[in-house]
Amino acid sequence: MTEQIHEALSRKYEAGFVSDIESETFAAGLDEDVIRRISAMKEEPEWMLEWRLRAYHNWLTMEEPDWAHVKYPKMDYQAISYFSSPKSMKDKPKSLDEVDPELLRVYEKLGIPLYEQEMLAGVAVDVVFDSVSVVTTFREKLKEAGVIFCPISEAIKEYPELVKKYLGSVVPRSDNYFAALNSAVFTDGSFVYIPKGVRCPMELSTYFRINEQNTGQFERTLIIADEGSYVSYLEGCTAPQRDENQLHAAVVELVAMDDAQIKYSTVQNWYPGDEDGKGGIYNFVTKRGLCHRNAKISWTQVETGSAVTWKYPSCILKGDNSVGEFYSVALTRGHQQADTGTKMIHLGKNTKSTIISKGISAGQSNNAYRGLVHMGPKADGARNFTECDSLLIGDRCGAHTFPYIESRNPTAKVEHEATTSKVSDDQLFLCKQRGLDTEKAVSMIVNGFCKEVFKELPMEFAVEAGKLLEISLEGSVG
Amino acid sequence: MSAWLQQVLHRGQAISDWLSPVRRQALQALNDTTWPGRRTEQWKYTSLSAVEDLALATGQSQSQPEVETIDGIDSLDLLFVDGELRTDLTTLNLPAGLHVSQLEQADALHQVAATSLYAQIKPKRHLFGLVNDVLAQNILFIRIEQDCHIQQPIRIISHSSDGHESHQRVLVQLGNKAKASIIEQTQGQSNSLSTGFTEFDLGEHAQLEHYRLLMHTKQAIYFGGCHFCLHDQARLDSTLIGYGSQLSRTDVDVIHNGEHANAKLNAVYLLAEGEHFDLHTTIEHAKPNGTTNENVRGIVGDKANAVFNGRIHIHRDAQKTLAELNNRNLLLSRRGQINTKPELEIYADDVQCAHGATVAEIEEEALYYLRSRGISRSQALIMLNFGFIQELINQMPNQQLAHWLAPQLRARFKEMEVR
Amino acid sequence: MLTIKNLHARVEQKNILNGLDLTIQPGEVHAIMGPNGAGKSTLGYVLSGREGYEVLDGEVLLQGENLLELDIEERARHGLFLAFQYPVEIPGVSNMEFMKESVNTMRQQRGEEPLSAAEFLKKAKAACQQVKLPLDFLKRGVNEGFSGGEKKRNEIMQMILLEPSLCILDESDSGLDVDALQVVANGVNSQRDGKRSFVVITHYQRLLDYIEPDFVHILANGKVVKSGDASLAKQIEKEGYAFLGLDSSEEAKA
Repeated sequence: MTEQIHEALSRKYEAGFVSDIESETFAAGLDEDVIRRISAMKEEPEWMLEWRLRAYHNWLTMEEPDWAHVKYPKMDYQAISYFSSPKSMKDKPKSLDEVDPELLRVYEKLGIPLYEQEMLAGVAVDVVFDSVSVVTTFREKLKEAGVIFCPISEAIKEYPELVKKYLGSVVPRSDNYFAALNSAVFTDGSFVYIPKGVRCPMELSTYFRINEQNTGQFERTLIIADEGSYVSYLEGCTAPQRDENQLHAAVVELVAMDDAQIKYSTVQNWYPGDEDGKGGIYNFVTKRGLCHRNAKISWTQVETGSAVTWKYPSCILKGDNSVGEFYSVALTRGHQQADTGTKMIHLGKNTKSTIISKGISAGQSNNAYRGLVHMGPKADGARNFTECDSLLIGDRCGAHTFPYIESRNPTAKVEHEATTSKVSDDQLFLCKQRGLDTEKAVSMIVNGFCKEVFKELPMEFAVEAGKLLEISLEGSVG
Repeated sequence: MSAWLQQVLHRGQAISDWLSPVRRQALQALNDTTWPGRRTEQWKYTSLSAVEDLALATGQSQSQPEVETIDGIDSLDLLFVDGELRTDLTTLNLPAGLHVSQLEQADALHQVAATSLYAQIKPKRHLFGLVNDVLAQNILFIRIEQDCHIQQPIRIISHSSDGHESHQRVLVQLGNKAKASIIEQTQGQSNSLSTGFTEFDLGEHAQLEHYRLLMHTKQAIYFGGCHFCLHDQARLDSTLIGYGSQLSRTDVDVIHNGEHANAKLNAVYLLAEGEHFDLHTTIEHAKPNGTTNENVRGIVGDKANAVFNGRIHIHRDAQKTLAELNNRNLLLSRRGQINTKPELEIYADDVQCAHGATVAEIEEEALYYLRSRGISRSQALIMLNFGFIQELINQMPNQQLAHWLAPQLRARFKEMEVR
Repeated sequence: MLTIKNLHARVEQKNILNGLDLTIQPGEVHAIMGPNGAGKSTLGYVLSGREGYEVLDGEVLLQGENLLELDIEERARHGLFLAFQYPVEIPGVSNMEFMKESVNTMRQQRGEEPLSAAEFLKKAKAACQQVKLPLDFLKRGVNEGFSGGEKKRNEIMQMILLEPSLCILDESDSGLDVDALQVVANGVNSQRDGKRSFVVITHYQRLLDYIEPDFVHILANGKVVKSGDASLAKQIEKEGYAFLGLDSSEEAKA
């Protein structure tokens, strides 16, 4: 059966085309001057440049982390271009009508028809193409509710006080190697502010696309949910098929004030590289949320892309009674490597966290869950429940679990469980006996395995995730 | 580099015996080792600052420790005091098939057998494992001939006395279908540093009942380990009891090097005062159809710090492996710490592996039940805490040993801050 | 023996007992029946002092002592015994060790000398035999791996050993076959000595065929809505709780 599964597992990456968009791209290399130029291109205030430079100097003193269960050749940070922008962005479009039609076609091809998104579901979309945000829809309607949703480059100019106060407040400049690099060179990303007591009237979403060759993408997202507010935010990513490895080092910071809730969902489908493991995105991302009193942050991720993933969306449960959640499906195939998980840092009383992680490994891939649950000395009555399940398809892949548990409080309770299994011959036999082919059967079984996570996704995303999983599995099966 | 390690390297160069080639390799590896810090994954939660500049006596020790006999067990006792073998091996009345010798005086035949063991079972030894490779003397070689069932438990007692540093090594080889029971016991509460590693080779169908009683307390610093290699159908039943001390680190490694081998590991740690106890276990399933069942439970009181790292590694060829690891902890005090990390690393698909870890308090419901029968809250807590440990003690194949241990464990409990 | 006056209690913000009154004289057997959710089990938990059961109002006197002011274990030492509907499993703590500790605590309370190991073992064995539990159950962990029926019999064995003055049996009949039911009932009946009182909480009349009650009370919505003699239980068996004119949705809700 494994044979059959593998045969079917060699399907092409569907978002792998390159778009012929005229761009303006910096020469490769990183020094202070590059950072000054990025800042100047963005017409940033002086404080922002200073912030970047300080991050850059921090970065210079740091070393690339090597503790993750991934192997990749050392990256040459001087061979990467740190800025690329479609030429047509010079006079930035105000609405979709003004967007370069070629760009619209790109998104159409990706299955993200921007017009449709605008018209239909009532999803507000921010689109980041290479280093810049190209369009943000529904801004007016959101403004009526008091919600700010715009490219972060714009927010730096328009809402400097908010950005100054919160940027780097959850993920400090020198937090880790990739976060420091991002802090120095980030080019765009989304900014969201939900005012007190407001329930954001629609889902907000950002689509990220790396198009240009030899560029890195360093986006920065900052979401602030003020007291008692609610927002659901979706994020999707793709990149063209190229032989070189491209770096994506993003930082996402969430701030949930007292009684606020943030739901952050990701469907990550960066180019994973070809069958021989050539090319693909290095997805080194720092995502972290800070919960104040009674606040809740929920991370849901479906990770199917990237050659190497290094990503731990985390929650700092600082306020009493705050809640953190992490629901993850990570599927690796071919030569993909993923080291992903979460950190739940319980600082406040009666804080609660739930971690549900589903890892699926196929081909010659390696898929690791890495997590930390920390119960601080003041986290009286805190609770954590963690469940990590791995599914192996074939005998050339790896599935790993590295949960760190640190407890400093006798009244806190931590429960961690992990299991590993395979698609059993009995399950397959049953499905086939009922007339399903191997591929369909495996996809059904895997979908069932991931159900707990999918149900956390917003509806349209759940469908997309299911399909993505199916596509990703085709070719892994056989 | 630490002053202590420098002095180890210096002493290591002076040792010359037939094991020197292996010792030199370890010496080389030590030269290339940087002193572990917080960022060294292996030592993330265990600080070695107490060892860094330690300078203790390394010569002969005058101490004459008392060794308590175990009621109901007529064990064959082998006593080490500060790394020096005090038992006169020539006077031992050994059952047929059991050979106990000192490796330095081994004949050619035994040398061949020993080199396949010495520093061979666990390929990647940490700093103190390497130090032991370099410095261990009076190496004990216990060999049980094939088909021989040794009824009499063999007890190896290692005593550390005030101001001493010692390095002790034991090799145990069980021939095919051989059977034995070995109790390793460490003791001493004064300012001392000792390393103690034992390598076990279990032949096909061999059966080993093993106990490691880590009873060092107070000021003692200890680094030890047991490395087991299991061949086809071998069976290991091991129980580890750990008290904490100033600094205590133990590595248990089981390598399933044959098919259908079976390992059962139970471990208990009870920590009080400011003790630090670090247990790392690694189970390597290198061959198919192996079974591992590991249960580790700890109770941490006062300012004590428990570290547990339980790794299960299923190699590509180890299909049909069944491996389970469970770690449960009770934290009794606000000043105590528990750091646990069960790890799975799996490269074979047709396996059943699971691990679980919990840190919790005694269940309220159980507490209520006992109190509803008139038992005071504090007494109920002691009973429940003890019950938590007792469950594993009850599984010890040698219940005589369990009976001997029970009152000591109870006494230790009283030292702990059970509220 | 026991006087309950206007008892109000709640669990998790929900009022369960709403002004319950009950008086029990020495030697009497009172059956408490009622639909699911009437507060039957809550009564047992409140009397035994379980945490999370908050008394809002009312008074409970056990042999003149204000029960509500006492800790769980003090209530037990004053002679209150609750046989649980779902006894918890405590692996690692043996039944023997548990009961020995418990019995000697009770003896100390009564000013008696603690039993020696041998004396205790003799008593425990006898109690075990009385409820038809194999002797090796004494060595096993408390309720560990016991079947439902074995757990119930273990509760009765504890009752026999502890010699309480007031026994509350919380659905000790649920899930038992006829043989086990008889064992439980015989165990209870053997302890009826004219001084010891019993509160038998049950959903069905069945148990009362074996343990003849002096009084039967119907509990609904947290208070006693009807009291009578044994014939009341028989009437319920025939007609259900409907004749009481209770809101049938109450039962559905529970």
